[in-house]
Amino acid sequence: MADVILRDIVKSFGSVTALRGLNLQIEEGEFVSLLGPSGCGKTTTLRILAGLEFPTSGTISIGDRVVNDVAPAQRDIAMVFQSYALYPHMTVAENIAYPLKKRRIPRGERTVMVQKAAELLQLTELLRRKPRQLSGGQQQRVALGRALVRDPKVFLLDEPLSNLDAKLRSYMRVELVELHRRLGRTMIYVTHDQLEAMTMSDRIAVMDGGDLQQFAPPNTVYREPANRFVAGFIGTPAMNLVDGELVLSGGDWTFRTGNLSVPVPPLGENAAAGPAALGFRPEHVRFGEGPIEGTVQVVEQSGHENIVVAKFANDLRITGRAPAAQVWKPGEPVRIRIDTAEAHAFAAGPNGERLNRPRAAA
Amino acid sequence: MKFTRKLAFNLFAWAIVLAVAFPLFWMLVTSFKPQFELFRRPPTFLPETFTLEHYWRLLSGTNFMIYFRNSAILSTVTTLVVVAIATVGSYSLVRFRYRGRESLAFIVLFTYLLPSVVLIIPLYLMLVQMGLSNTILSLVIAYSTFALPYALWLLRSFMAGIPEDLESAALVDGASRLGAFRDVILPQLLPGIISTALFAFILSWNEYLYALVLVNSDSARPLTTGVMNMLVSAFNIEWSLLMAASVMMSVPLIIVFAFLQSYLTRGFGAGGVKG
Ligand SMILES: Nc1ncnc2c1ncn2[C@@H]1O[C@H](COP(=O)(O)OP(=O)(O)OP(=O)(O)O)[C@@H](O)[C@H]1O
Ligand SMILES: [Mg+2]
Repeated sequence: MADVILRDIVKSFGSVTALRGLNLQIEEGEFVSLLGPSGCGKTTTLRILAGLEFPTSGTISIGDRVVNDVAPAQRDIAMVFQSYALYPHMTVAENIAYPLKKRRIPRGERTVMVQKAAELLQLTELLRRKPRQLSGGQQQRVALGRALVRDPKVFLLDEPLSNLDAKLRSYMRVELVELHRRLGRTMIYVTHDQLEAMTMSDRIAVMDGGDLQQFAPPNTVYREPANRFVAGFIGTPAMNLVDGELVLSGGDWTFRTGNLSVPVPPLGENAAAGPAALGFRPEHVRFGEGPIEGTVQVVEQSGHENIVVAKFANDLRITGRAPAAQVWKPGEPVRIRIDTAEAHAFAAGPNGERLNRPRAAA
Repeated sequence: MKFTRKLAFNLFAWAIVLAVAFPLFWMLVTSFKPQFELFRRPPTFLPETFTLEHYWRLLSGTNFMIYFRNSAILSTVTTLVVVAIATVGSYSLVRFRYRGRESLAFIVLFTYLLPSVVLIIPLYLMLVQMGLSNTILSLVIAYSTFALPYALWLLRSFMAGIPEDLESAALVDGASRLGAFRDVILPQLLPGIISTALFAFILSWNEYLYALVLVNSDSARPLTTGVMNMLVSAFNIEWSLLMAASVMMSVPLIIVFAFLQSYLTRGFGAGGVKG
């Protein structure tokens, strides 16, 4: 049964429309990431769920009830704010205890719960300090502690790990996943970090321009991006996206651009001949031999592999992953082959839908 | 070169300090001199004979204590009224969105720009009609009306400096709007509230013109007009009594300042919110 439902949510701030008809159904106990570029409406979505912002139109349900008119305190949610929002005049311990105090939990129990949260977040030594005496990462952990100390119906986490160092971040990632498994609570997690979204989530909601682009498990988002935006947004280095046109001849589709012509995997019924884009991931580009000839431009060595950017006729630029053993130098001529079985075709336009035949049917 | 610049700067600064401090010093000294020493030439710098007789006369033989009590009540009540209204008002101006919010704020400021002399007669007539003439309450109302606009603007800027997320966090953590206001907004606003309180208190403690016009019975007179009325007449000014009165009038302000200034400079706000 769906736990959190956003139906046709529109939110305007004066002339700015932050959300344009957002629909989202989150199952009970699910870990969902909201992923998208800056300003796409992630924080606004959380604030509307929390009851801190009223939607211009649309309905919000948590559990079985519509909560449009329910005050934040009565929605049974905990939230980590992107800005941390620690109470400056309270110590770390008082900050973490505040939600418990507001729920009339007796002092003794409170102290135990705060202690437990502090241990989880490695804050035990800092409990008596004021927020201004903490580093950014420590403050962020206190913010997380203030949410995790409770057992609400839904957790809303707005980039809760953004300011931690790499080690602490991967530690917290594991802890959060573990905590999610233990509590079985619905968690909605905003992040800029694709790796976090891919590794932690049951499903990822990719947003752009105040609208949902795709809502699917990490694997699906990566392997079957719903449209060109998702394809370009998910994955580093980004998917190669080439503009050109689709041609149908004898039941087979071909993609053409300039003097390049490549076969395309079977397309669905929404495909039509004409302008389109071809997308293929860097790992599906093979260097060394192949029909396409160009020049190496940039080589980024990351130790276990090389990211190679090469330039081809008509100013075409293609990024590929090459094994670390292959040494490429800028300026060198190179030949590539595109593994077109793994390629995607997209309708024209920045949000053009994916045209491939669905995997199950293929 | 550098040394002379520094020296010049220091001399200049001390000259200003002396110019400001000397009258205060002279007031203090004069209040302790016996009458016969006041007009001696050349004047004595420190009192040759030290006496408390003026203070004694003031406290036992005059209405000074009544005026003092009136002023204390008047200033305290005015301060409370002004701080209470300005706090709630600034919260509304900053946090709620409604039509005409900005223009309202400007109209309020505009009333502060009107010279208070212009308002004195209409205000007097209104207060008389309300049956409040010659009462402390009439002065409380009058002072509140002209302390409020400035207080509102002062607190508005303090309020605007409090991140909205703090209040949001309190709401999510289970506080009601009022609870969030008490637990989070008020502690953050404390430096602003203290500045406003000081402003309102000093204003009502020192005000003269309205007190002169609105009140002319000894039971309701504040210190400013009371002391003038008592000690300054066309024929005679009782300098030593006047100086003793002035010293005692300054004491409450000095005490209030000493208590509150440390709060003013203490940094409450920093460090709770990123960015
Ligand atoms: N209070 C507000 N008044 C006006 N515009 C707002 C307000 N809050 C958000 N917006 C606008 O709404 C859009 C979405 O903002 P939001 O904060 O939800 O973005 P976000 O996805 O969280 O971005 P980021 O990743 O940078 O945090 C932005 O264009 C922003 O400028
Ligand atoms: Mg945000």
